[in-house]
Amino acid sequence: MIEYRYIKFCYFLAKKFVLDDENLLATPFSVARCVLLCLSDCKRSLSVFIRSVFCMSEPTMDFYHTPISAPSRAVQLTAAAVGVKLNIKVLDLLKGEQNTPEFLAINPQHCVPTLVDGDLKLWESRAICAYLVNQHGKDDSLYPKEPKTRAIVDRALYFDMGTLYKRFGDYVYPPMFKGAPVDPGMLTSLMEALGWLDGYLAGRDYIAGSSITIADHSLVASVSTFVASGVDVSGHANVSAWLGRCKKTMPGYDLNEQGAKGFGDMAKEKLGIK
Amino acid sequence: MAPIDFYHAPFSPASRGALLTARQLELDLNIKVLDLFKGEQLKPEFVALNPEHTVPTIVDDGYVLWESRAVCTYLAAQYGKGDWLYPHEPKQRARVDRALMFDMGTLSCRFDKYVMPVVFQGQKPDPEALKSLQEALRLLDNFLGGCKYCAALHITVADHRLAATVETIKHCKINIARYANLKAWLQRCKENMPGYHENEVGAKLFGEFAAARFKEVSSKN
Repeated sequence: MIEYRYIKFCYFLAKKFVLDDENLLATPFSVARCVLLCLSDCKRSLSVFIRSVFCMSEPTMDFYHTPISAPSRAVQLTAAAVGVKLNIKVLDLLKGEQNTPEFLAINPQHCVPTLVDGDLKLWESRAICAYLVNQHGKDDSLYPKEPKTRAIVDRALYFDMGTLYKRFGDYVYPPMFKGAPVDPGMLTSLMEALGWLDGYLAGRDYIAGSSITIADHSLVASVSTFVASGVDVSGHANVSAWLGRCKKTMPGYDLNEQGAKGFGDMAKEKLGIK
Repeated sequence: MAPIDFYHAPFSPASRGALLTARQLELDLNIKVLDLFKGEQLKPEFVALNPEHTVPTIVDDGYVLWESRAVCTYLAAQYGKGDWLYPHEPKQRARVDRALMFDMGTLSCRFDKYVMPVVFQGQKPDPEALKSLQEALRLLDNFLGGCKYCAALHITVADHRLAATVETIKHCKINIARYANLKAWLQRCKENMPGYHENEVGAKLFGEFAAARFKEVSSKN
């Protein structure tokens, strides 16, 4: 039923614009392609197709972020991979720019990154990465739809959030933001988590297999931040190899590296690492 | 179809959240309770399944998965009749994902920061940590304003996971009655989620354990 409605809609559009406006690029070939697209993943393909046929530019989304933040950089890696434009709005968190009434109206939780796409106001970086692929991806390679494969990606995203980056935060945030002494026990805990990540990467190029997924974006934003902050990952061979692979293959990696260095320089100063 | 092995600890909100999804889907489960206090999660057989030795962990016909929220979304995607528990439409799905991440990164995290140092390390309760938790509860109350459930007009996996967290918070004698939307939503979950009594029983177990430790700590100080 859904397919029929979209075929009908496509036919209407094609008939109206192909026959009525010779200036458009749409051709009978485009009409046929339109029908074929409707028989597969209708909604998303239709939207992408219409934009490409009628030469409309990709939608731009407002992206509130802080360049040194690992979650922010994960979203930028995904956006670069998907090929969507972000309208970057940098917030200086140290100046409290996340607490302005305008930003609170968008995100009452006043955190970064935050994405505005039409009527959707979305925060939580990993939810944003998933949304970008689900809504704007040309296919599902970055976030496979098959439930078992997707669950591996999801597990890795939650591991990154709830274990790996959390343990890094437990290690660096007290000295960085509260003037507390460095706790070596927290570094031991982080190394344990890196050991688990090393195990998950054994025998595979990326966390979910042979292709990059959004879990790799999230994890590499984290791990590159650790390295820039003076954490030694050389003892974890699979992590080191994967990090090198991500650097070579991920579009927009330079931006991630710059941001990680920005965070890392701050962290090293407070941790007393040269 | 063989039953799904479900490694579980009743007092764990993570475990109970995933169990609520499984019960909603009426799945055939082989529940394997692990006594975490006795270190049963550290046995070699379990560590071989899950190197992080956490609950919940499921084994579905040889497929092993942990991380409660990944378990919830996997079960919904694999076994859901229709997509109402975890919508396919990207914007609706994003709202569910955001709520799941809010639970992990904000609500559960702040609850752990307040309760765990007292319960497991004998430290004095930190009033700043309690304020931070109350702010998270206020945020959730705000999100629920004018909304029947966390991310949609119907129950989604985000409600399962959040209901496990909030029920646990409530049983730790942290006042949620002041948050009208939150209180009403929790009652709605209780009335409409199959197997909710398991969530209540487990939350009560954790609450009693936590209360005893809080009392012990305050009598020493």
